[in-house]
Amino acid sequence: MDGETFLAKVRDYHEAGWRLAIINVTTIVAAAAPAHGAHGVAAVPTAAPAPDAAPAAETPNLFEIAWGFVKDGTLETIREQIHAGDTVPSISEFFGAAFLYENEIRELFGINVTGIGVDLRGQLYKTATKVPFSHAAIKDRLAKNAAAAPAKHS
Amino acid sequence: MKRTTIPFGPQHPVLPEPIVLDLILEDEKVIDAIPTIGYIHRGLEMMVERVEYTEMGFVVERICGICSFMHGMGYCVSLESIMNVEVPERARWLRLIWAEISRVQSHLLWLGLGADAFGFENLFMHCWRMREEILDIFEQTTGGRIIHSVNRIGGVKRDISDTELAAILARLQKLGAEFKETAKVFGTDPSIRHRLSGVGVLTMEDAKAVDAVGPMARASGIRMDTRLSGTFMYDQIEFEPIVEIAGDCLARVVVRLREVEQSIDIIRQAIDRMPKGEGMPLENKPRGNPTGEVFTRLEQPRGEVLYYVKANGTKNLERFRARTPTFANIPAMIKLVKGSDLADVPQIILTIDPCISCTER
Repeated sequence: MDGETFLAKVRDYHEAGWRLAIINVTTIVAAAAPAHGAHGVAAVPTAAPAPDAAPAAETPNLFEIAWGFVKDGTLETIREQIHAGDTVPSISEFFGAAFLYENEIRELFGINVTGIGVDLRGQLYKTATKVPFSHAAIKDRLAKNAAAAPAKHS
Repeated sequence: MKRTTIPFGPQHPVLPEPIVLDLILEDEKVIDAIPTIGYIHRGLEMMVERVEYTEMGFVVERICGICSFMHGMGYCVSLESIMNVEVPERARWLRLIWAEISRVQSHLLWLGLGADAFGFENLFMHCWRMREEILDIFEQTTGGRIIHSVNRIGGVKRDISDTELAAILARLQKLGAEFKETAKVFGTDPSIRHRLSGVGVLTMEDAKAVDAVGPMARASGIRMDTRLSGTFMYDQIEFEPIVEIAGDCLARVVVRLREVEQSIDIIRQAIDRMPKGEGMPLENKPRGNPTGEVFTRLEQPRGEVLYYVKANGTKNLERFRARTPTFANIPAMIKLVKGSDLADVPQIILTIDPCISCTER
């Protein structure tokens, strides 16, 4: 599924009166972590290689993105796994409030989002690590935590 | 016309927490507002990498000092859902009672701040005096005034005895009667009406377009309340969300005024309906490590909060995310600020009841 199909699905949610509740990203770090329990509609937002294509020899750097919509107490998600470096289209066109989530995922996860309604140009958060939820940053911290494991931290 | 840019915040008399809006003005009219947050971003979500899931609930509580109970509750409910832990009935009722007390506390705090911002020092003091009493109730029942730490995965840590509950209810009802007098001032004082009425109007269409939540949406005529889904014992409570249609700053104040009284009534119903007796089970301890994921929604004082928890069978969660109501209401705030007069900006920002600590985690 390409970006256009994804945006068409988002448009359907918008036209059916759903509310954008969350755009959540999970950095997949653990080796061979399948998207267990994933439900909802899948979409590949860009022409990126399909995430469920034959697994490469080494674990690719993947992010799982969930766009969550709520209507009458029900939450549904559109989910997709993308590779680090892939581009995701903004849904600001349909959901004006999306810009805040999209700026956030760009700053904290380093995911490129094209066409953000209000581009905050990296001004949303001030973090010590440049992209704190990138694969490299997380692996680095996990290694440090493992090294410091015997001493119980506060 | 020449444009002027004025930074609003991070320090400002009406803001208890830091946020910046770069206001772009033409004469006295705001043409655009560009938000910057991040002054109190603590990276709490990242802490799942080194804090075990059993202890993470206490970190989550510290996201914010006003909704601390409900953050802890949301985290525990999420883990209970992943781990299929059945929470004892009395514990579920106790959570509801503490959650509603939190709502009263939060609204009183905000009404005080609001009063202070539009120049009513005395009203501010009355609201905060009443809030102190609520904090006393928290201290008496949980041991903490701000951080309560009574939520455990699988239940709650402490019971409130039936006699204590009756005393708390009597105290709240007395407080409710006093609050009616204060609420009258908010509702009828001509200078308050003059300051807030017709200012910062968010129409129902606009509120839907920017996905506003909580009192912000309800003040614009949207009947939206996560409690309506009936989870966490709310299915056994009779209540109707408080909805106002004006959508202005005054309507947002009135929604919160009425919600204080409504929450006291919900607590009364809960105390009536919960199973009575001493020594009832309060906790079912989970076993092993969690595997799976869940989205949890709760109605906090500021609106819908959404938690995402993903666990991979280890002691550390793979991902924890809290989308707080203020985060969802910032687009609405920006929409309102655009086109308003510079002098009205503080009122508009304040009436969304911004909680920046929550927003930034």
